[in-house]
Amino acid sequence: MSNPSGDAPAKRRLLERRLAPSDSPLALAVVMTLAVLAAMGIASLLFLSYGANPLQAYAALFHEPFGTLRGFGYALVRTAPLTLIALGTIVSWRSGFGYLGFEGCFVIGAATSSWLALETAPGASIGPLSGAVFFPAVILLCLIAGALWSGIVGLLRTRFGGNEVLISLMMNYVAILIVQYLVSGPMRAPGSLPETDRLPAGTWLTFVLPGTRAHAGILLAIAAMLLVWMLLRKTALGYELVVTGLNPVAARYAGIDTGRRILLAAGMAGGLGSLAGMVEVLGVQHRLMDGLSGGVGFVGIIVALLARLNPLAVLPTALLYGGMTVGADAMQRRANIPSSITFILQSLIVLLVLASSMILRYRINIAALRPARIEPPAEPAP
Amino acid sequence: MNLHTFLSSAFLVTWLAASIRLAGPILLAALGETFAERSGVLNIGIEGTVLLGALTSFLLSIATGSPWASLLGAMLVGILASLFLAWMYVTVRTSQVVVGLVFNVLAVGVAATVYRRAMGRSADPESITMFQPVHLGWLSTLPIIGPILFGQTIPLYLTLALVVVAQVVLFRTRFGLGLCASGENPKAADAAGVSVTRMRYAGVLISGATAGLAGGYLVLAQIGLFRESIVSGQGFIALGIVIFGRWTPWKAALAAFIFGACDALQLSLQLLDTRIPPQLLLALPYLITILAISGVMGGKAVSPAALMVPYAKDE
Repeated sequence: MSNPSGDAPAKRRLLERRLAPSDSPLALAVVMTLAVLAAMGIASLLFLSYGANPLQAYAALFHEPFGTLRGFGYALVRTAPLTLIALGTIVSWRSGFGYLGFEGCFVIGAATSSWLALETAPGASIGPLSGAVFFPAVILLCLIAGALWSGIVGLLRTRFGGNEVLISLMMNYVAILIVQYLVSGPMRAPGSLPETDRLPAGTWLTFVLPGTRAHAGILLAIAAMLLVWMLLRKTALGYELVVTGLNPVAARYAGIDTGRRILLAAGMAGGLGSLAGMVEVLGVQHRLMDGLSGGVGFVGIIVALLARLNPLAVLPTALLYGGMTVGADAMQRRANIPSSITFILQSLIVLLVLASSMILRYRINIAALRPARIEPPAEPAP
Repeated sequence: MNLHTFLSSAFLVTWLAASIRLAGPILLAALGETFAERSGVLNIGIEGTVLLGALTSFLLSIATGSPWASLLGAMLVGILASLFLAWMYVTVRTSQVVVGLVFNVLAVGVAATVYRRAMGRSADPESITMFQPVHLGWLSTLPIIGPILFGQTIPLYLTLALVVVAQVVLFRTRFGLGLCASGENPKAADAAGVSVTRMRYAGVLISGATAGLAGGYLVLAQIGLFRESIVSGQGFIALGIVIFGRWTPWKAALAAFIFGACDALQLSLQLLDTRIPPQLLLALPYLITILAISGVMGGKAVSPAALMVPYAKDE
């Protein structure tokens, strides 16, 4: 980096290392765009290998969700849980709690809401409730269930110093097995498939966009986004959470009970993840079954990362990723290209965006391209 | 089922033999991960690497029919995948949890796409040549210990040998000590002339190689076919085993056997038609791992001090 000691200036290289990574917004935007294009380029090769023209493939990928009303409705359906999970990620990660258990929270929320919905069927233990009672109740119940679930991990971390990253990953499998047990045992409907009865129609989320399957879950997601943004940006509690995440030692000196804040962040993350599961069951599936999550808990984290843990950036990012999933499903139906390609595209984008920060550490030296002046060798002093 | 059949020596022998067999892939992955973590890198990406290794070995096995070639291929794919991971962890210095996690999603996508493509429309999984148990002469005729320890497959014997090798390399060689120093105090290691970058690359590549092998082991010595859900968290469990084993190969082996014993018990209880729901038994390995790493049993202090802390030489 520095000139070697001596009189002659070091030969300037074309690619020169900066002392600190560039932080100009333009450079950042350019590099991120490059990364996304590179990811799409790699996916193009995949499309080519299926004999599809990449441009047409991308047109198909984005036409369905953003060019047709029906497809846009499905994109909104996918956006809602992704947004909620991404918000959960933001709350916990910014508070310094590396929670990864959203697959688990998702199915816990799905199971909780299905249970309450089934109990409100005519003749069941609670009996029919009006929507004005049922929906606040189910939201509250799911928040509590999710918060308790992730609170276990929070407690293990704050009380015993357990590693929340790994514990939350393990808890995902436990939650999925619990739901598997519920749908094949206590909650199983008569029939060949391990699933519950269809939930009573009064418990379904209303459709909000005429002619599509888009349901009220997207409104819930938007409301949650505004609340999380307010919490982190405008309230003292949010400030304490962020400080806890940035520097727990300093937070302690400032009198913040970091253990409690982390526990609280864990609970909120679990609650949000659980709402995502509720939205999926009450808005789309209308029954509880096994294999409901299918990776959405991880894609939600990816959305949060791509949004740089900024709550307001979550919605557009989630819409993009949700739309991509819808487009890929359409492509699978029409061109027989497996929809698993979206996983590749979605994760490659983040990986390359992360890797592209490398570029910001260098600058290009145009001067190095000019022919160097040839200087006569210094004569030794007489 | 009564207590008598449960404790009969036949049951015990079958159970313990299965324990060791099931511990194999997790132990393999945990051994490599120990190197990565000792060098200062938490490689969560081994879950995805195991999956890629499993897919590779399955496809190669169909193509070549040779389990050894398939196992080798799995290892090479593991090394390749971890080369990318190491670059991200060590050179780009991104958050290790983030990269590992996202890589796992990528691996799921790649595995599902490649598998569907390779299998075409045929839904029937083809049968492949698996490793067969090899009885080690008179050793396998020893009572009780014989069938438990010496009636296993060759990859398992190699895994056990690897425990010893890993233990010696990590704590008795210049390379191993340099690796540990890079994870404990990279600045000091650097000052002592150890290349932290090189050590961390080595650690991650070793973990990738063993994760690939673990995937191959799963397919070639344990299950005999490929499913997209074949790994289902075994890579994560290996991460837990590393913590439970206090970042020491021989203790990781013990931890893996305890885990294998739970897994085997779960399998045999399912066969024995108890009234316990199978999901509870299936959850047992995860619950045990959670308990082991929850910190309830203490042992926070022994983790490598610079674990998950990227190191930049000139800053």
